[in-house]
Amino acid sequence: MATDTIIESDLDISQLIDKPWVTIVWDDPVNLMSYVSFVFMKLFGFTAEHADELMMQVHTQGRAAVTTGSREEMERDVQRLHEHGLWATLQRDDKF
Amino acid sequence: MSEFSRDGDMYSLGLSLDEAHILINLVEQLLELLGEGDFNHHYDESDPLAQLMAQLKAAPEEITVPEDPVLLRLLPSAYADPESAADFRRYTEPTLRGKKKRTLVQVRSALEIIVDADRAGIIEDLDSETWLMAINDLRLALSVRLEVTPDSYDHFETLSEEDPQKPIFAVYFWLGWLQSSLLNLLSNG
Repeated sequence: MATDTIIESDLDISQLIDKPWVTIVWDDPVNLMSYVSFVFMKLFGFTAEHADELMMQVHTQGRAAVTTGSREEMERDVQRLHEHGLWATLQRDDKF
Repeated sequence: MSEFSRDGDMYSLGLSLDEAHILINLVEQLLELLGEGDFNHHYDESDPLAQLMAQLKAAPEEITVPEDPVLLRLLPSAYADPESAADFRRYTEPTLRGKKKRTLVQVRSALEIIVDADRAGIIEDLDSETWLMAINDLRLALSVRLEVTPDSYDHFETLSEEDPQKPIFAVYFWLGWLQSSLLNLLSNG
């Protein structure tokens, strides 16, 4: 998991101070599981394992934080997820 | 039933004339819903699929949260907070809408060749990700009109053949199957 720095930064306090925003993907009954994983790999460069793990989190828990970063970065991620038809929002990390 | 096929990096899709008609009808309706009307549509107004997306067509002059639930699903709000969502939408929605329209226009052009030739055909060397996104948007749009839930397939199987929703559900599930066939090809290297 060494290359998945975007998600691991969730746990990094110094990063949280600099990057307090998070992109949330919400579950819906339409998008195929394989499609959601495909989009995560394509947009964020995640490995298939990591993309599947996040996809399953969305599916079973109703939502998952997929990326964290600055507000501008998260707005860009949300926009790209919307282009691909995923239901995504951004918010301050402390609210998640 | 038709499906995508792949030869190296080349993707293609063979379609019956009926399938091409169904797809182009849906693509044209969704384009019109997104505000793109610069073409002569192929669908007949009496087509049972034709009225699926014909509701609430008139677009407001200002960029606001869409009233039409299909548009709201395709162009969702990025923030829970209405004020932030409205600001974000003002700056970004035209781009998002434009990208969705371009994707659909590209798919429509390929379908038009089959439909205008009036016989089954093969769309060769297609852009796999364009088709993947277009089919996904069509499924999202239909799902809103059909009020799809995780139990919809069971519901579909119990519908009688006379139920007007039956053929629409059938198209919805066919699109899912078509999309799966493309995803399988894309994920196999």
